[in-house]
Amino acid sequence: MKIIKLKYWQMFAVFVLTILLFSSSYAQREQWYGALTYSVSVPAGDTKNIIEDIGWWGMGLDYRYMVQKNLSVGLYFGWNTMYERVTGQTELNTDPPGTIYGTQDNTINSFPIMASAHYYLGERKQLRPFIGINAGGSVMLQQKAIGIFVWDNDQWQWGVAPEVGVAIPVERDFGVIVNGKYNMFFSGEDAIGNDINNAYWSINVGFIWEP
Amino acid sequence: MRKTTFSLIIFIASAMVILQSCYPGDEITYSDSDIVATFYDKEANFSTKLTFAMPDEIIRLDDEGNPINDPGVNDQLAITRIKDNLIDAGFTQIIDPDTTNPATTPHVLVIAFANQSTWVSGGCYSSWYSWYYPYYGWCYPVYYTYDIGSLVIVMIDPTESRNALWVAALNGILEDTNAGIAARVTDGIDQAFTQSPYLYK
Repeated sequence: MKIIKLKYWQMFAVFVLTILLFSSSYAQREQWYGALTYSVSVPAGDTKNIIEDIGWWGMGLDYRYMVQKNLSVGLYFGWNTMYERVTGQTELNTDPPGTIYGTQDNTINSFPIMASAHYYLGERKQLRPFIGINAGGSVMLQQKAIGIFVWDNDQWQWGVAPEVGVAIPVERDFGVIVNGKYNMFFSGEDAIGNDINNAYWSINVGFIWEP
Repeated sequence: MRKTTFSLIIFIASAMVILQSCYPGDEITYSDSDIVATFYDKEANFSTKLTFAMPDEIIRLDDEGNPINDPGVNDQLAITRIKDNLIDAGFTQIIDPDTTNPATTPHVLVIAFANQSTWVSGGCYSSWYSWYYPYYGWCYPVYYTYDIGSLVIVMIDPTESRNALWVAALNGILEDTNAGIAARVTDGIDQAFTQSPYLYK
């Protein structure tokens, strides 16, 4: 777990630097806004074959720049965790081929880093439903531990995340945001090296602000 | 730095600490730590392997791979269970193998080993001599640390000088003295066969 802790702090540094970079010192008022959300992850696709449980720990950070009245472009950073302990067997694509059985701890930490574009309905300062697309990829920290055997596979996986949501104004520069993203990745391996396409839903609730 | 930005950083830092402290790391029971690993020669044709012979002992290997006489309390239980599973899989046991007579030459030899010292990593292990023919090798199914008392079941073809056709390893099981160990030995051996359907006729 020590390696993963280091990664957390690396990601923390990215979050902090991003906030500083896009804080009011650099951003033109009312053109930029940010969103910080608590994120729940629901495994889907190939990921669901490894982990079925919902991941209750995660967060997301969006910075969006309004290029038109109803259109923004920006950046999306996230952290989604998924974990499940199961007892079962795993096929090993080794030479010679094999199988290993035991109690498995499967863990995925996904750190998506994506460019985004969003289209908004409604008017500024009103409730604004939106749709969007995020494109980029994710740093995937994947681990499978079976007894004393541990496999780690940390890699970048390219992907996109279509998104729908709604921004709800609360005060002049502050509001609440609820959105859902379907994070799907086009290439990659699981913890033991099998080719898979990871995918998961992220349901996000948080606040939105203008710097 | 604006107060809002500073607050955000504090919020994120707090969330990181909270999330990290809640990360999984539950205690596991003894049986949770049991592992059964198997592998097989993908060129082997198990459907033609109909008979087997097996020594009535688990061969203990010292640090240098030499056999030593140091039987464990669950050795006979393990041997009986292995034979039962082989028969269930469709093999016929040859009680008194005689390699000078084709009718009593087994198609496969099944030999059970236990290491007397921790075996680190994996790879092939060929420094022992077999019961019937010298220098047939075998390999550990997974690269890692095999605890003292790991049971390794090896199936070899006595007519070919090549690595094992099938290997199963149960990590540390024969030196374990915790409650329920007999059931865990039999369950582990059963699992080795369950996850090897290609052995069945």
